[in-house]
Amino acid sequence: MSAPDADLARTFEGRPGRVGLSLQGVLRGLMMALVCLICVVPFGLILAVSLGHKVEGAAWVWGFEFSNYTRFFVGALWPEQWSDLYLQKLEYSLYYAVIAAVLAVLTAFPFTWFLTRLPRAAQARWLIFLLSTLSLSEVFVVMGWDILLSNKSGLPMVLRELGITDWAKGNGIFDWARANGLANPRDFKFKTSVFATVLTMAYLVWPYAVILLYPPLSRLDHSMVEAARTMGARPMQVMRTVILPTVRLPLIGATLLLFVLLLGVYVAVSVFADPAQQTIAISIYDEVRGATLNAPFGAAQSVILLLTAGAFLLLGQLILNRRAP
Amino acid sequence: MPDLRIQGVTMDYGPVRAVDSVSLDFRDGELTALLGPSGCGKTTLLRMIAGLEAPSRGKITLDGADITALPAHKRKFGMVFQNFALFPHLSVAENVAYALAIGGMGKPERAKRAAELLDMVQLADFGDRRIGALSGGQKQRVAIARALAQNPSVFLLDEPMSALDAKLREEMQVELRLLQQRLGITTIVVTHDQREAMTMADRVVVMSKGRAEQVGPPQDIYHRPANAFVADFIGRTNFWDARVEGGTLRMGDLRLTVSPAAEFMDGSAVRAAIRPEMTSFDQPMPEENRVPARVTFVRDIGSTRDIHIDTPFGPMVVEYALGESNALFKVGQEIDVHLPATAIKVFPAAAEAA
Repeated sequence: MSAPDADLARTFEGRPGRVGLSLQGVLRGLMMALVCLICVVPFGLILAVSLGHKVEGAAWVWGFEFSNYTRFFVGALWPEQWSDLYLQKLEYSLYYAVIAAVLAVLTAFPFTWFLTRLPRAAQARWLIFLLSTLSLSEVFVVMGWDILLSNKSGLPMVLRELGITDWAKGNGIFDWARANGLANPRDFKFKTSVFATVLTMAYLVWPYAVILLYPPLSRLDHSMVEAARTMGARPMQVMRTVILPTVRLPLIGATLLLFVLLLGVYVAVSVFADPAQQTIAISIYDEVRGATLNAPFGAAQSVILLLTAGAFLLLGQLILNRRAP
Repeated sequence: MPDLRIQGVTMDYGPVRAVDSVSLDFRDGELTALLGPSGCGKTTLLRMIAGLEAPSRGKITLDGADITALPAHKRKFGMVFQNFALFPHLSVAENVAYALAIGGMGKPERAKRAAELLDMVQLADFGDRRIGALSGGQKQRVAIARALAQNPSVFLLDEPMSALDAKLREEMQVELRLLQQRLGITTIVVTHDQREAMTMADRVVVMSKGRAEQVGPPQDIYHRPANAFVADFIGRTNFWDARVEGGTLRMGDLRLTVSPAAEFMDGSAVRAAIRPEMTSFDQPMPEENRVPARVTFVRDIGSTRDIHIDTPFGPMVVEYALGESNALFKVGQEIDVHLPATAIKVFPAAAEAA
């Protein structure tokens, strides 16, 4: 090829490249703008509101002060008086979310394991059923559990009618339940209790747990299980030494995801948790739409909840990175 | 007395019969290859021996004791899986020592034993590596060492070479055979590769459609196939249809003598077979069993030369090893081919290759 031809070729090679690049650039810019609009702008607004302050008898005004954050950690009357009320709420948020996430994953794991052992058609039917349960709103699910656990017509009534309550009174189980807030002097009672709150929260995310665990468990090489069996491992030893270590990363990942999801649960906590044991999510709603109407403080609590979730995810990421082979 | 014996073992998956009443004796210290095409039931049979599947019918005994219902973890037969099934969360040494850890052996003892086994499979310096950092051949050695860790009475291998490339496969076949001979362990290898079976096995069990078609030493199977399926599956074979006439074969106007004479009733339809390397164009050629042919294709692959010909009773291949003949063959060339009477095998037409 002569020198002018080569120049011409370079010119034409360059043109589509420039056009392609600019189109790509525009698309990239649009995507960034969309992400900003969906994620960054709302978060930025919440952050900005959290720095404002409430005007008594009115709404709130923009500002740049950290009083809402200090109130969260030390109370409104600090330095005269210290209060950890909101830290307690955060603690309950974390407590419920951790227990419910672990409970959901622990119960979903054996179910999903057996699900992956079923024929393909049966697996598909189960997965469709589980996905369809996700269409139920939190309100609907909580209503169901509310009836199921209600003191007069739910599980306590069933236990009483079956004579289990009387039987439990005779062998110390009832006393243990009373000591743990699961019974009144006459009957078992599950409302309000940590048990009912955590159970309902675990139920809410249980289908997610199955769906998160299904891919790694269905991909698990079953010949590893068989190899372990030929080497003398009993079924529980196979579970402990082969299956669980192999899927530990998906297990941790699923638990983390459900934990973050559960931090924001509102209806289940408002119905089943004792008023003194409610969470940040309830408090945020009260501040923004409920009785206290203090949007800047509600926004500050949202930011703290978000940062807490982020911190846990970061911690999880560190653990996963350290354990990844 | 044979160590391992299976009697009338049958496996049904619903209406499908995967293994059909197979009875075999696995002699102490011998390497037996279960050979057959995909879906012939060889892996199912191996899995039943390992205790990973329960037979629908039949009995499996080890040293006279019935182990048919014994679960896999109590049989403790060392098994190498097709994909090696190594544990990715454990190091190489931990994989090898897994059976020992399950058996309750102390950490120092099992580390010592794992080191010995890794040394045996020439991976002495690989104990601390992750499984993901190994090549296919190294993974196979680890799988072998792991399966041998518990000193199994029977060593089972399910298509152990299928994940390796052709060159490594050949090396590993020899290596595995030498190791097995050194250890003197009763070994059963499942393979669909007849070359692999011929290289490694003391005895070959050729399987088809869930049945054991023939059991014997590799050379017996090759030179004296029991039926058309075995003749077709093991090595290459030229087949043609014929009718029996006074112990000879009649194909239209042509007649071929067979030695020993074909023991079929006159007029019976049969399937005749001859190996490509047993046919020849060599001169001087006897008058008996001389067949006119025309060369259709010549394939020279270095170590052997295949001459494809058309005969009055169908196409055939004649094989010459390197240096066996210097004759030149051209496509379209008219030539006589000699089919030695002793090399022709005759099978009932009904027992045709699957």
